Amino acid sequence: MGWIRPYLIVLMVMAVWSIGSAADLFNSYLIPSPWKVCGTARKLVVSGALFRHMAVSFYRVIIGFAITVCLAFPMGLLVGLNKTSRSIWEAPLNFVRHVPPLATTPILILWFGIGEASKLTVIVLAAFFPIFLNTVSGVANCDPKLIEVGKVLGYRPFDRLVRIILPAAFPSILVGLRLGIGYSWRALVGAELLAAAAGLGYMIIEAEQISRPDIVLVGIFTIGLLGLLIDVLFERMSNRLMPWYGGDKGYVQG
Amino acid sequence: MSRVEVSDLLKTYFLRGRPIDALQEMTFVLEDSSFVAVVGKSGCGKTTLLRIICGLEQMTRGSVRFIRHPGVEENSPKVSIVFQEPRLMPWLTVEQNLAFSLVKESDRIRVKDTVDSYLNLLGLKLFRDAYPSQISGGMAQRVALGRTLCFDPDVVLMDEPFGALDAFTRRHLQRELVNLFMSQRKTILFVTHDVDEAIFLGQRVLVMDQGRLVKEVSVDLPYPRNPLSRECYFLREEIISFFFAS
Repeated sequence: MGWIRPYLIVLMVMAVWSIGSAADLFNSYLIPSPWKVCGTARKLVVSGALFRHMAVSFYRVIIGFAITVCLAFPMGLLVGLNKTSRSIWEAPLNFVRHVPPLATTPILILWFGIGEASKLTVIVLAAFFPIFLNTVSGVANCDPKLIEVGKVLGYRPFDRLVRIILPAAFPSILVGLRLGIGYSWRALVGAELLAAAAGLGYMIIEAEQISRPDIVLVGIFTIGLLGLLIDVLFERMSNRLMPWYGGDKGYVQG
Repeated sequence: MSRVEVSDLLKTYFLRGRPIDALQEMTFVLEDSSFVAVVGKSGCGKTTLLRIICGLEQMTRGSVRFIRHPGVEENSPKVSIVFQEPRLMPWLTVEQNLAFSLVKESDRIRVKDTVDSYLNLLGLKLFRDAYPSQISGGMAQRVALGRTLCFDPDVVLMDEPFGALDAFTRRHLQRELVNLFMSQRKTILFVTHDVDEAIFLGQRVLVMDQGRLVKEVSVDLPYPRNPLSRECYFLREEIISFFFAS
């Protein structure tokens, strides 16, 4: 029966929700019944509206995430490998880190308008720090004993970077990417709530304005499920890419 | 093959501004294809000596010269070291860890042949696809030894490589090392704090104390040696009593 444990809470919530709705215990405007939400979801799927919003949001996350990786990874390497650049960048980056990305949305809208640029910037701001900081710590915390092995075997600095430091930092970098994609997903939907013409966040805010809590719930569930899906896929990929790490801990006798 | 001449080596550390001599007046020669053991208490400078010889640390004064042919000094000697810990790359399999020392070899077949021969020689064939986290400490240290040998160094330095192993595995690996030495005739400098191990392995035993070379003992016994023999017993007494006297 162990397989049921991950679903236990969901099943209980569903049960309470269904029974409560059937017995008319909830205000159906505040908490629409599960079957109503399911019906709305079906209509949104059939009409293609849900997929259109999903596609828009996905597209933004993928582009924003790609930009973030291109910025955060090289900077993380630079700062992780070089103490001087660490002392230069540490204070300003810590300042930016403590500003929630959504708090910058108003000024971003002023600067970039309500087009794609402001939303992509929010994604970059949200995903940058987990990727950057995990790259820095992965690179900076590479076991110096392993680097010495490279030195003794005549590895040049570039070979040491590629064949020792980067593989050693790889688990940490993957953690950063995984956190980063989660953060960017959350920040994006937030940005879409404030300013957008399409996307899951927009779908929710539009539904609120036309008093359709069932659509709001469909939106919330979709966002949560997609976030979960991305995370699971990422974890699968991590385990596949790092067979030496976590997953396979079989012990070979010797 | 190579001969190593260490002369008048001095290494001074600064600990909160105070100079501390980790090594002083170290002078000795490693003959070509000889097996020399260095024994001493922990903190006597053994590890520092090895780190200087393989270039991981700078000496304060003195010289370490590698001579390949009589009278000709080698500028880029192939020196490698087996550390106290295996220091394997956790993301590489046993096989890939051996190939790790062949980064400059572009001929794939040559790499595979070399790696295969050492996998066989060290009894690692069954574990070739295992990751370091999946093998025992003894196996891991054997892989580390294999990695060093794949590098084909002229001089092999060993820094208490069997210190962390259980007595059975240690004895087993000591015997294997003697066999390897007899078949490959590399120049080996083996550092240990275990007097028995030094006598079992070395053709000469250098005794270190407080950064100085204080005694040298030749062990004129054929390999493989019986550690319980009379000769070994007397050598052991000679070395140990020296420590108690000082």
